[in-house]
Amino acid sequence: MGVEQGTFVQKYDLLGCIQCGRCTGGCPVTSRTELNVRRIVYESIDDEKLEDLSNKPEIWDCTTCNTCAIRCPKGLEPFEVLIGLRSMKAEEGDIEPTARDALESMFNNGNPWGKPAAKRTDWMSDIPGVKKVRILSEGEKADVLVHVCCTAAYDPRIIPLAKNLVRVLEAAGVDYGFIGNEEKHCGSEARRLGEEGLFEYFDEENTELFSKYEVNRIVTISPHCLNTFKNEYQNLNIPVMHYTQLVAELIEDGKIDLKGEIPKKVVYHDPCYLGKKNLVFDEPRYILNKINGIELAEFERSKERSLCCEGGGGKMWVESSSKAERLAELRIADAKNLGAEIVAVACPFCLLTLEDAMKVKGFEEEMRVADILELLGEVI
Amino acid sequence: MNIVVCVKQVPDTSDPDTEVHIDSTGRGVDESKFSFVINDADNYAVEEAIRLKEKHGGEVTVVNIGPEGANQVIRMALAKGGNSAIRLFDEKFAFSDIVATARILHSAIKDLSYDIVMTGCMASDDGFAAVGVTLAQMLGIPHAAMVKHVEVIDEKKLKVGRELEGGLMEMLEIEIPCLLTIQTGINEPRYASFKGIREASKKEIKLMDLSAAGLGDDMVGEAGSVAVMKQYSVPEVGELAEMLEGDAGETSTKLAQILKEKGLV
Amino acid sequence: MAEVFVLAEHRQGELREVSLELLTLASDLGDKVTAVLLGSGTDEFANRCANFADRVLYVDDVMFSNFNASAYQAALSELIKKEKPKTVLIGNTVQGVDLIGSLGVELDVPFTTDAIAIQMEGDKPAVTRQYYGGKINGAVEFKDSEMYLIGVREAAAPAGEGGKSGEIVKVENPVTVEITARRFLEYVEAQVGEVDITQSATLVSVGRGIREDKNIPMMEELAGLLGADLSASRAVVDAGWLPQDRQVGISGKTVKPKLYLAVGISGAFQHVTGMKGSELVVAINKDPDAPIFQYADYGIVDDLFKVVPALIEKLKETKG
Repeated sequence: MGVEQGTFVQKYDLLGCIQCGRCTGGCPVTSRTELNVRRIVYESIDDEKLEDLSNKPEIWDCTTCNTCAIRCPKGLEPFEVLIGLRSMKAEEGDIEPTARDALESMFNNGNPWGKPAAKRTDWMSDIPGVKKVRILSEGEKADVLVHVCCTAAYDPRIIPLAKNLVRVLEAAGVDYGFIGNEEKHCGSEARRLGEEGLFEYFDEENTELFSKYEVNRIVTISPHCLNTFKNEYQNLNIPVMHYTQLVAELIEDGKIDLKGEIPKKVVYHDPCYLGKKNLVFDEPRYILNKINGIELAEFERSKERSLCCEGGGGKMWVESSSKAERLAELRIADAKNLGAEIVAVACPFCLLTLEDAMKVKGFEEEMRVADILELLGEVI
Repeated sequence: MNIVVCVKQVPDTSDPDTEVHIDSTGRGVDESKFSFVINDADNYAVEEAIRLKEKHGGEVTVVNIGPEGANQVIRMALAKGGNSAIRLFDEKFAFSDIVATARILHSAIKDLSYDIVMTGCMASDDGFAAVGVTLAQMLGIPHAAMVKHVEVIDEKKLKVGRELEGGLMEMLEIEIPCLLTIQTGINEPRYASFKGIREASKKEIKLMDLSAAGLGDDMVGEAGSVAVMKQYSVPEVGELAEMLEGDAGETSTKLAQILKEKGLV
Repeated sequence: MAEVFVLAEHRQGELREVSLELLTLASDLGDKVTAVLLGSGTDEFANRCANFADRVLYVDDVMFSNFNASAYQAALSELIKKEKPKTVLIGNTVQGVDLIGSLGVELDVPFTTDAIAIQMEGDKPAVTRQYYGGKINGAVEFKDSEMYLIGVREAAAPAGEGGKSGEIVKVENPVTVEITARRFLEYVEAQVGEVDITQSATLVSVGRGIREDKNIPMMEELAGLLGADLSASRAVVDAGWLPQDRQVGISGKTVKPKLYLAVGISGAFQHVTGMKGSELVVAINKDPDAPIFQYADYGIVDDLFKVVPALIEKLKETKG
């Protein structure tokens, strides 16, 4: 693997690192895996060591939750070094079969789930009160272009998020539209699995695709899509926002009537890619507070300090060898201690990992995990 | 160790949600909703070929029958380490059966210099599991089907293992040149990165049509076939699970019976 | 008189069931059924075949102690050219697929593989095969010929009761030269202790529904009776009841066994993605709405702690 001299040093500004260790000190997975991001950043300065470093299994334990970047006093992004090391392995073709299958599916099907592209809009049927979901044709105008996210389009557990978003948009009279079967993976997980080239392909393809419509803004269901469109795409000039931001705006403008009631104690879990990465903390809480009956509690670790669920960074496809308790299980235990009856999230991955953890903990009878879109669906 | 590896592009129909609809001719299927991938077993054959090349030297030639879209699977094989590629395509190839398909491959492979010819053990679309073995006879070389272990003894011989029912392995010795049909699971196929595939697309893929293959109209397609698929039909099976009713004694009896009938006990 | 040849298949001192299935099927395809047995000291197999055939052609030669496609092809082609049956049936087994294509070319007769049904149209067989992993069927028509060769799927038709008493004709081995292109070496059993669930032909897969790790032995007993390996959902692996390498799903292994028996698995999308290539899926779950039933061929909605013990008893009875 030919890494050019000085690539990592320059690319990740490694000489800026003062080895203070705040990255590792805050890293949520350090407690359960071998990962020591400070040491890897230090050793990455030496090009000779990159090959060895790339072979360390723990580089795949990072969830890219952004805690290390937030804590870094020098403004570096230590986790990006790990992605760089992963990309060396991806380029060699030597990656976990589970990651390989997800990446091949992204390339072949435009989604990581091994599902045909032509079935991407199958979820659009049977939405209560909605006759037909609007799909934009080329050149068509709309205020909001909704990017559905691969997981919300194909995973039966997450599809209700997309359906509820449509119901909310219809109820609020928003001028919205979807892309249809041509919609593709945002590339976020491709990049985090080390597939730089494939990510660049999605960047180019999607930017071109979005420019075919005349829309004012793009709204995403997943914070991961939001982040990559907003912060990583090179030439995308359309404003991108998360659905919680749009919904908060609609509530504020009095466009949504939240009739129903959810008389429960709810704790909100900040998704890393929405909170730590894009600093959207208030809108989800605003929405939850507007729902009648909800008593909103806060985790001890919330907002910038929120504990990662381990669903990001390509981790949906790469299992850690660690036997220690998953962070999602710790999170659920915390929620239980708070007496929460609902753990509210605003991200498909958080929903999947936390719900799994809740089942593992055996709390199904007394607690549930729900995306804010599901709660909205119950009250509009 | 020069190796020829045959790859086929097939629709990915492994997903239970992927429906296969017969088209209006009754002899084709609606391909508009399919995504196309390399045939699973062929993917393992490519990996095995490249591993042998990496260990013993030589070149890997990728051979495919397919339309232009099949370039994608060819490039993937080239990106992983294939040296050169041939793609055979002609409208007249349509409806080729086992023999006609093997004949088309034979036309391109017979003039290549090879020690081993590899194919996947079965294609997921037609399920023939016979083209490789048929091709071996046309090439006049020995073969072994469903191979899950390959070891080079010397320049003249290979030791190969065939995976039998129940996981038993039949070990045998076979003379080079020979043809092996490769079973899935023989290795762990590597990933072909996007950049690698893009790089590989600079390599030339040699195209051969009917005349370049030196074949006549009556040697390929339906005319050149001996067993022709005339009509597709929808099998009579329920969409959803057949629910076994009754108490635990009854349901377990029914299930045991079903497993026995299907030869699974 | 239309004669049907059936190649008897045996391995390691056992006549394989597919031989009797094909002999039974052959009775519907012609009025004379001939079993062809290539073996060595396998008189007992000849006797059993005779029970299902009008005639047994039996070549008793050490060359056929173990299967060797090159030797089989050489002998079969000679016998077939001499006897000129109308139809030749060979099991579409690992043995059969090593033989059918090359034999078909050598004999220059129409052939196809993996028939799930054969109908006679006049004196010509017509074959039904499956395409796209069994999602659709196709009717295959042969070109007119004096002879047809068909690979028939195992268990495509049940073996009957037999009841014939065919003549056993010992035939001199028509292969007089030594076969050198390919030589049988040995059989190697799958390594014990190392379970690779991606290679398992049968899996009993357990989920959260089994409640506690002390129920694992019961599942192991069920797996043992089915000759299966145990696999699991992520929750079971997370709980530490089974090792990580038994995990099925997007972050675990992708499996494609002939039988996937899902016990107490609800069937989350991330799990199902890893087992969707399974040939036959059976699900046992107390929740009738569990998504796993959408992917199952057979389902039992009941308490697994009632069904599994009952099933274990039934399987013990079946196996005698």
